[in-house]
Amino acid sequence: MTSPAARSQSFASRAPRRDIGAWVQAGAALFWLPQAALLTWAVQGIASGRGFAAVLLPAIGIVLFGALRAAAEAWGSRRVFAKARAQLSVLRAEAAAALAAGSPLDRSRPASGQAASALAEQAEALVPYLVRYEPARLRATVVPLAILAVVATQSWVAALVLLVAAPLIPIFMAIIGWRAQAASEAQMLEQGGMNAFLLDRLRGLATLRALGAVDATAMRLGDAADALRRRTMAVLRIAFLSSAVLELFSALGVAMVAAYIGFHLLGTLAFGAWGQQLNLGQGLFVLLLAPAFFEPLRELSAVWHDRAAGQAALQALDRLGVRSVALPGAGASGAIGVVETSGGVPQPPSVSVQRLHFAHPEAAPLFEGFDLRVAAGEHIALTGASGAGKTALLSLLAGLQPAARGDIVIGGVPLNDRTVAALRQRIGWMGQKPHVFAASVERNVALGRAGVDTPRVAAAMQFAQLGAVAQAHPGAALGEGGSGLSGGEAVRLALARLAVQPHADLLLVDEPTAHLDSETATRVTDALMVLAEGRTLIVATHDPVLAARMDRVISLDAQCAKEAA
Amino acid sequence: MSRSEFGTVLRPFAQTRLRTLLLGAALACLTVLTGMALLGLSGWFISATALAGLSASTAFMFDVFMPSAGIRLLAVGRTASRYGERLVTHDATFAVLAALRVRLFRGWAQAGAARELAARPARLLFRLTSDIDALESLYLRLVVPALAALGAAVLAGVVLGFLHVGLGIALALWLLASGWGIALVTARRARRPAVQRGRAMEALRARAADLVAGQTDLVMAGRIDAEREALAAVDRRLARADLALHRLETASGAAWGMAGTLTLAGVLLAVGALAGEGAIGAPAAALGLLIALTAMEPFAGLRRGAIDAGRTWLAVRRLAPRMAENELTAIDAAKPAIGTSALRLHEVSARHFGSPAVALHGVSLRLRPGERVALIGPSGAGKSTLLAIAAGELRPATGSVEGAPACLLTQRTELFQDSLRDNLRLADPAADDAALWHALEQAGLARDVRALHGGLDTLLGEGGLGLSGGQSRRLALARLLLSSSALWLLDEPTEALDAPIAHDVLHRLALNAAGRTVLIATHLQREAALADRLVLLAQGRIVADLPRGSAAFDEALHALRPD
Repeated sequence: MTSPAARSQSFASRAPRRDIGAWVQAGAALFWLPQAALLTWAVQGIASGRGFAAVLLPAIGIVLFGALRAAAEAWGSRRVFAKARAQLSVLRAEAAAALAAGSPLDRSRPASGQAASALAEQAEALVPYLVRYEPARLRATVVPLAILAVVATQSWVAALVLLVAAPLIPIFMAIIGWRAQAASEAQMLEQGGMNAFLLDRLRGLATLRALGAVDATAMRLGDAADALRRRTMAVLRIAFLSSAVLELFSALGVAMVAAYIGFHLLGTLAFGAWGQQLNLGQGLFVLLLAPAFFEPLRELSAVWHDRAAGQAALQALDRLGVRSVALPGAGASGAIGVVETSGGVPQPPSVSVQRLHFAHPEAAPLFEGFDLRVAAGEHIALTGASGAGKTALLSLLAGLQPAARGDIVIGGVPLNDRTVAALRQRIGWMGQKPHVFAASVERNVALGRAGVDTPRVAAAMQFAQLGAVAQAHPGAALGEGGSGLSGGEAVRLALARLAVQPHADLLLVDEPTAHLDSETATRVTDALMVLAEGRTLIVATHDPVLAARMDRVISLDAQCAKEAA
Repeated sequence: MSRSEFGTVLRPFAQTRLRTLLLGAALACLTVLTGMALLGLSGWFISATALAGLSASTAFMFDVFMPSAGIRLLAVGRTASRYGERLVTHDATFAVLAALRVRLFRGWAQAGAARELAARPARLLFRLTSDIDALESLYLRLVVPALAALGAAVLAGVVLGFLHVGLGIALALWLLASGWGIALVTARRARRPAVQRGRAMEALRARAADLVAGQTDLVMAGRIDAEREALAAVDRRLARADLALHRLETASGAAWGMAGTLTLAGVLLAVGALAGEGAIGAPAAALGLLIALTAMEPFAGLRRGAIDAGRTWLAVRRLAPRMAENELTAIDAAKPAIGTSALRLHEVSARHFGSPAVALHGVSLRLRPGERVALIGPSGAGKSTLLAIAAGELRPATGSVEGAPACLLTQRTELFQDSLRDNLRLADPAADDAALWHALEQAGLARDVRALHGGLDTLLGEGGLGLSGGQSRRLALARLLLSSSALWLLDEPTEALDAPIAHDVLHRLALNAAGRTVLIATHLQREAALADRLVLLAQGRIVADLPRGSAAFDEALHALRPD
């Protein structure tokens, strides 16, 4: 269910374009033709007794062509790489944009860990695909044909031998592909399987230590690794065998060419050179071209798995864009409209919800014609059993997911794709689980918002009593995903984020006291009441103490009951 | 890096499969040598036959059988040794990496390391696996090709040595100096960009995870586009490192290519001169030329290894500390309690892990055998730290701890990708199925497990996926019941559970705790209600110790959070 606006074409379906760089790289291999000719010319000269005089010119020529070949190879490779790397950057940016344009409440979107590995490591596989596989494929199509043509001018028998040794290139490629794929899959299985096992056990180290099961687990790890190694090797034995066939064909091809030319030069096999007799130079020339004929094929087989990995990377990036709920206003980014506030003294907004219809994808409707009116500066508690739609309503008000139908008006401004970005600027949000970014406590409070300077951050931290947290994590970054922060500390961080916002006059707060001890819960409630002074506050909670301190309590259960009645 | 770090990491290589590793390298050498010999012999054969073919009598006398059989033998031999090489090197690498993983697991399982890992799991775990994978290239891409190249240089030296001793020695030295030299220079220059690349990659991962997990906070702060831009900036940093590494890769490829060309041209001039003096004939010249032609190629096999060397170096540096064998494990062994205490803390002070803040100040606490004590107090008061001390997970900065071996029930239920049976047997490897079923019965999970298709053999997914929160907790309880320890340390045992399930779990816990000593850290009424005594912690100090029956006990209990 990719949103049509997100991307016109999937990454995986885009065929890589072939660049001049790849052609130059392929062409570089053909410089071997003149080099081989010069070399054999020199040997012919030696054979005819000309000594040193015979080799001087060819040596210079060989160095010149060698330099040309190295330069062409390097230039082509640099160019192909630069293009491929730029393409990777574009794809990453597009995938990140697609992720950012989805609603954070969409349950079908990828988990953060999955997104991180698709966007980071897995996407890397694209570069070898474009840089190694594509040029190798081009070379395997062009170079053997060119060499075959040159060999054929000297001896049709030698050309025939080469043709027979590399039966039909497509069949050959199929064999290569089959074995390379199996080999790389087996290897990935080995690595992936063992890494997964190790990670799984390391994640539960506290429990393993608590149960005294460290030694037993280490032994199981060893056994599992050994079993997996044996299984992997069973696959590899067959996979490598089919690659050995390729090796054998190329080695036998060279051997047969050598034998034919030897017998031909002896006069035993006098045919095959278009009615002529090859001389030593010509014979040697053909011999030198034989390995070069097979080289591109072997090279291609070595990079074959890059293709599978590259295409898997493209598909993984594609999957990041799959979503069923879009983030309102994400398409209109950049066009942040200014919301007119009634001039003079800034006044907190009223909130009005009319005939709201909403359902989670593939779930029963939560709201069917829901109405809500909150006066400017009013403090409201939303209560109800879990699943009654408290969080859903808050996120609809914040424009984090779109409503099916109905109107939401905040401070006289209707919430839509064009206004949502500006409206969010006056909304202070405190979710159930604040995300802790891998950064210092200060930066976690400020979040890089404009107008949030150091003194303001310091004040907010003091207000939320975050000082101890900052001391416990001096200067250093907080852990990924908030590990290292207790529940109480995380709530205080969320409070500080709320307190630091200068322009927020509508506060949307979701379950601020859940899972806290009484003392901390009381402190959080007090702090929230201070912050809500002169602002509109809507808080979802099932904490009766917190609800009692609001101006009005709205039960979503009652709402549903009313609907039903 | 110190030599000992390399030694520590390389030891598993040497200990596990030294012979196989050497055999793999030898086969790699053989592959290269047969390849060179195949071409060299072919060249000699053609030249010799060409000269012999000039007159009919020599052509008749020429022994074609030996060389052509040799050529065929080399062709088949090359294939066989290549096949063997790949099998042996891969098998050995897998075996070594397996041993490495076991050793690393043991290293990380030590108390201090385990706490560090718990503090920042995502990054460290990612690092760990990518580091292990990086070590793979050490043998496959560095050691094996380096030895194969050495073989090539020696063969080239010997063959050319037959033509002219000085030429042979000079060629071998030149090959080694230039071939290895290019690899060495590349590896040195690649170290910095390789390390930068590693860092940028980690940053990119973290940014991508932040973009998804922190999207709500970013959207509400109006910073989602800024975060995307930050991600793009990290990618640009990564691209710079990538380009630098590729520049080196291209440069080294060109350098080996040119060195090969120069070798060929040099040998051509030399054999030309030798032939001019009449020292050698055309067949010998052709043999020498073809050997020289192929001698530099094996060195280019070092290319990937040299580029990855920086990454490997970083991996070695990071893995070494966890692989040192005789690290202190004293933290694990808490002294057995003496006399009438199940657990005794005397004037214990402790710090949070990796932080200068003091978490406990001179805390003294004694638990009699069979006693149930609840630790209460606001978050950050030091409850978890005290449990960690009692469990022997954390060493006190000052003071002493004595206690029976304890079993800690962690706040989060940790289950493993394994069968249900093996998840349970972690607590008691010797337990038979009857004992497991009994424990499941006691934990109230037996019926659910019977309903599962696989019963005890049911495989659990990552982190115990497939069980509900309540079921997972019951499984953790069953595991606790299987452990033989007489001291239970429970960290908020029913925190995330719905009230009815929580009450049932606590009820079963209380029933089975008979005869054991229990210490519970909690802020919930229902959990603290199990206790004979409430110990109130505040800012790292015990501020009250309230026995059941006192008015203060009831007051403190009621101040805790109800359901």
